[in-house]
Amino acid sequence: MVDMATLSAHHGSQASRARLRKRKMAELRLKAYGIAAILVAGIALLTLMSSVVGQATRAMTESYITLPVTLSAEDLDPDGTGDPSVIGKANFGGFVKDVLKEVFPTVTGRSARRELYDLPSSGAAFELREQVMSDPSLIGQTMDMTFLASDVTDLYLKGDFGKLRPQPHSGDLTVVLADDGETAEIRTNSNDFANALAEVKEELLDQAVLLRRQARLQNTGAEVFAARATRTEYADAKADLEAQSASRIVERDRLAGLAEDLERRAGEPDGTEALSDNSPTVIIRVGDGWAKMTEIGMTGGKADVVLPIGAADAIPPGDWKLYLHDLPETARKISDQQIIWIEALNERGQIKSVFNTRFFSAGDSREPELAGIWGAAVGSFWTMLVTFGLAFPIGVLAAIYLEEFAPKNRLTDFVEVNINNLAAVPSIVFGLLGLAVFLGTFGVPRSSPLAGGIVLALMTLPTIIIASRAAIRAVPPSIRDAALGLGASRLQTSFHHVLPLAMPGILTGTIIGMAQALGETAPLIMIGMVAFIVDIPTGITDSATVLPVQVFRWSDFPERAFEARTAAAICVLLLFLVIMNALAVFLRKRFERRW
Amino acid sequence: MPGLIILAILAIAAVFFSLSRARALNVSGGQLSNLHSRPFYHGLYSLLWVAIIGLGVFLTVLFLGSNLINMLLLGEAREAFPDGSTIEYQLLMNDARAIASGGIPSRVDTLREALAGKYATLENIYAMSLLILPAAAALLTGAVTLRQVDVNWRARNRAERVIRFILLGAAVIAVLTTIGIVLSLIFETLNFFNNIGWRVDKYLFGTRWSPLSGVHDGSMDADKVGAIPLFAGTFLITIIAMLVAVPVGLFAAIYLSDYASPKVRAWAKPMLEILAGVPTVVYGFFAAITVAPFIRRTGESLGLSVASESALAAGVVMGIMIIPFISSLSDDVINAVPQSLRDGSYGLGATKAETIRQVVLPAALPGIVSAVLLGISRAVGETMIVVMAAGQGANLTLNPLEAVTTVTVQIVMLITGDTEASTAAGPAFTLGFTLFCITLVLNVIALRVVRKYRELYD
Amino acid sequence: MTNMRMTEQDLGVRENKIEARGVDVFYADTHAIKAVDVDILDNTVTSFIGPSGCGKSTFLRCLNRMNDTIPICRVTGDIRMDGNDIYDRSIDPVQLRARVGMVFQKPNPFPKSIYDNVAYGPRIHGLVRDKAELDEVVEKSLRKASIWEEAKDRLDQPGTGLSGGQQQRLCIARAIATAPEVLLMDEPCSALDPIATAKIEELIDDLRTSFSVVIVTHSMQQAARVSQKTAFFHLGNLVEYGDTQKIFTNPEDQRTQDYITGRFG
Ligand SMILES: Nc1ncnc2c1ncn2[C@@H]1O[C@H](COP(=O)(O)OP(=O)(O)OP(=O)(O)O)[C@@H](O)[C@H]1O
Ligand SMILES: [Mg+2]
Repeated sequence: MVDMATLSAHHGSQASRARLRKRKMAELRLKAYGIAAILVAGIALLTLMSSVVGQATRAMTESYITLPVTLSAEDLDPDGTGDPSVIGKANFGGFVKDVLKEVFPTVTGRSARRELYDLPSSGAAFELREQVMSDPSLIGQTMDMTFLASDVTDLYLKGDFGKLRPQPHSGDLTVVLADDGETAEIRTNSNDFANALAEVKEELLDQAVLLRRQARLQNTGAEVFAARATRTEYADAKADLEAQSASRIVERDRLAGLAEDLERRAGEPDGTEALSDNSPTVIIRVGDGWAKMTEIGMTGGKADVVLPIGAADAIPPGDWKLYLHDLPETARKISDQQIIWIEALNERGQIKSVFNTRFFSAGDSREPELAGIWGAAVGSFWTMLVTFGLAFPIGVLAAIYLEEFAPKNRLTDFVEVNINNLAAVPSIVFGLLGLAVFLGTFGVPRSSPLAGGIVLALMTLPTIIIASRAAIRAVPPSIRDAALGLGASRLQTSFHHVLPLAMPGILTGTIIGMAQALGETAPLIMIGMVAFIVDIPTGITDSATVLPVQVFRWSDFPERAFEARTAAAICVLLLFLVIMNALAVFLRKRFERRW
Repeated sequence: MPGLIILAILAIAAVFFSLSRARALNVSGGQLSNLHSRPFYHGLYSLLWVAIIGLGVFLTVLFLGSNLINMLLLGEAREAFPDGSTIEYQLLMNDARAIASGGIPSRVDTLREALAGKYATLENIYAMSLLILPAAAALLTGAVTLRQVDVNWRARNRAERVIRFILLGAAVIAVLTTIGIVLSLIFETLNFFNNIGWRVDKYLFGTRWSPLSGVHDGSMDADKVGAIPLFAGTFLITIIAMLVAVPVGLFAAIYLSDYASPKVRAWAKPMLEILAGVPTVVYGFFAAITVAPFIRRTGESLGLSVASESALAAGVVMGIMIIPFISSLSDDVINAVPQSLRDGSYGLGATKAETIRQVVLPAALPGIVSAVLLGISRAVGETMIVVMAAGQGANLTLNPLEAVTTVTVQIVMLITGDTEASTAAGPAFTLGFTLFCITLVLNVIALRVVRKYRELYD
Repeated sequence: MTNMRMTEQDLGVRENKIEARGVDVFYADTHAIKAVDVDILDNTVTSFIGPSGCGKSTFLRCLNRMNDTIPICRVTGDIRMDGNDIYDRSIDPVQLRARVGMVFQKPNPFPKSIYDNVAYGPRIHGLVRDKAELDEVVEKSLRKASIWEEAKDRLDQPGTGLSGGQQQRLCIARAIATAPEVLLMDEPCSALDPIATAKIEELIDDLRTSFSVVIVTHSMQQAARVSQKTAFFHLGNLVEYGDTQKIFTNPEDQRTQDYITGRFG
């Protein structure tokens, strides 16, 4: 039997207080979950934005190499015509290479030359050509000209492939050149190479660890095969398995031997080590001369001369430099020689970094340093123009019909359900529709802003209709009654009175719809707007791409320099979206009306 | 060129607008009250008809014209060269067109030359009719409407009727879009099923997906069109996404609607809106560049082997994308729960948490369920994140650390791949149709539930 | 009527359950309650009357701190229950509301079964040990709210499916089941027919034996019928407070006189 009065006494009792504490804990927990959820969302947004913006800033500068150039007539215009069309046919690519050869005359050999030619962009020759064609009087002159650096050069300068780290040193340097001047014997009277040697040995240990791990794997394999061999009943299978096991043991022992050798070498306090492509790079510089060590001990070793170095005796420590680069050559896209050339040029003030205007004015390119977003931006503009031109009038007219004229019957209900569903159909399905109907049946040009605009218009239509209907519905009936009462027809009422009042709401909805369309990618891929298009589109039937698709394409390219450009393109896209949304918010605030 | 023609038609319409208006003024004898309709409406009536007829004829000629030329030429080619394959005819036509337009054909022979000649003539006729027919139709219509102008002519009513039809037409476009989607998807789907000998079961339940390997003459190997790996991959990524989005979105919504101070709300809501406005391609980039390597590194430091395009990375980022979707829909429905219910609960001495868990959430449940359904529908149909961050190989696994592929990824791969469009379209559109059906069912259920819910509290 | 007053006398001396002194309430800048002093006696029915918008509900909501749920609402002054300041920081509104229950002007059953509606309070406060006890509390509460007969066969059906009057009685049952010491009722009969109203009035009188009850009403007759004490509010002021009999037969203030004779309001 429960007595209500005794129940009452429960409130405020010891038991209820304990219970209350628990309940309060549950309360705090729920609140904590809520705060955690908000934080998760916030952190996600922050990480997203910072990873994009962080990358993008790296695309905001580009590097130029300044080289002395003599625009000799015999190379560029042998007949002295001064005619741009003749000059345009000259071999500017070869000319740029000749310029480079003159700057670094000691670089010989095919592969070394090829590496040298990779310092400037492949677009540098085109730009020189344009420049000379537009001003033939330059021919015959000698001057400093700037050449766009290649993506690899640019990335190195931005620190993507690590940096040369100057090392402390205290000895006097002696350089003994070999007869051909291409290799040299380097000595100091102090243990200046101890640091470098230690790093090299550490690298050896790392390799040994790898080898040991591989050896262990082989050992496991051998055990597995041996175990299977003891279990199998067939003689031939047994033999086969045992052979497998044995070969693994051999391989294991070989790897272990290699590892042991490496460990032994690393353990020896001094001695010399040959440097391979996998070892850290050690570089010596004396004045304008640069050499790369091929073998080092504590006090020196052998070196390859990269830029001519003079034989010398006892150079004081202030007059020579020792550098270490801890990324081995194989782990970066740039060779030791290229690094030395770039550093040498940099040292002479022949390299500069400027704000990257090209990115905002150029079309697409396969070369990251030449690629820009202007083409995609213009493509987006044309596409949005078509989308707006179709979706806005159709959406508004449909909304007027549905709100002001449609009889309330099953058919209208169906249209309504239809519109709501269409708003949730995956965008890629709209792409398939565009592919089948507009490209296939109606023959709209592939990859064109026209096709893209039509597809996006159909996609945006539900958003605009829904927003417009809400805006029209918000206009109070008294306005309609007033107009109708003055003898206006329903159509006049709608167009003269209701529509102007609903317009801010309609525009807000339209802008939000357009912002969605601007960021849409998948349906445009379906209708071929992913093609590689260099030219800036000049109309709605040209082949074009749009900003988000450009982002998608670039993110797919293997060149590292595209990563930053992709992020920069995203920033531009986001900027447009922010502007559009700000406009929508402004419209909403400015014209918000409470009836 | 087509743009100019459209402008010309509109110009003609404008001219007839002023002509009709002037004529109406004229017949009224300066006494406007004589007229049934104001001169403006006479003008409008002319303008509407001229524009409609002119543009209609123009679009018809534009659409029919190029198809007609193709048909005529193809007939010609078939006569001269009776049994070639579709591709041969295609090539023939392309070459003829190239010769006619001064391009570079793959080969030149007499047949091609003849066809090219024919093509050039037809093309001329086409260009002429594109110019003349719409203009003539527009002018004729203009003349007719101009003659109709009269004191008793009910131009306003007529014009309004035309406009109402235009309004109706605009509303019908949404329906036409749906019909277009369904028809184009079904057409290719049936084609595809025909090519695999109507083994629909193999498509729905088969576990091997490589539809384009070993295709010849359009017939496909029914054993290689099993879409289960794609469904499983889509399912896996969707589950991961919802595991991220539902708790985070729901708790965020609860916090914002019942706990947050106005100040917190003032920055948290826009933050979620920004998250909602980020294009999916940006999420894809984020997944591929930041999240996937992070998950890979974390996994490796824990001694797990993680694919570089793991389902986890794509799923988590997709979840982040869907958070604002779930939170804003849930926020709406939670706010729609009447305050009186909360008061009733508080009045009995319930804490906020108890009120939310036992009164608000059950009351808002239908709305939340439909938000989750719509979220799933988005996740299933999402393309860019998975194209950029999920795998491409049809790998049947439920391990989130491995690479899986999804329905949308395969559609993109098929359509953008090197295989001839007509072959790849079959499986691609069939996948598209499957996707459409799944999302349609989810959407219809979700919208129903929401509607019921609205009726409950409105 | 007279009988009722007889019983009232029988109950003898009563203590103050709630004492309110100098209570002011503001909604943002609106001064909704102005310096109100009231005593709510134990085992007594107190009615609040007054024209619409005068602040009856607002004051009622002060008594169990329901106003805390309205962000713009600010309460100052001193309200004590059993001698303890209920706005003191050490007092938990959650616990307070368990002791001071409330029935609202508009019925607001939860979207749960009838049973779960009534069981809600006992469950969250841990009033019962087992299902059998809970069943008993639910039945008792429903009986007290005189809805047991109508509801006993449909306990597992949603409370929202009841008629408006039934819903209101369900809400009363729900409040009783939590076993409060004071029950605040904001126009509990505004949605009820005369028969149900009579039942509720009977219930209120019955409740008096265990609770003290505060009821807001627009019906003078109802106030006169059920309450022993009456407070008349006007424009946020407490104009007059005293024995019901006195207020209705011999009010001191002209405004009270005007109101109960129906001259305004
Ligand atoms: N949530 C609120 N926010 C702002 N002002 C409020 C709020 N609730 C009540 N008020 C104001 O406080 C004053 C008193 O309101 P209250 O609801 O207490 O009146 P009432 O006496 O209960 O009236 P009724 O008999 O109509 O229920 C009124 O002027 C009202 O406008
Ligand atoms: Mg009230």
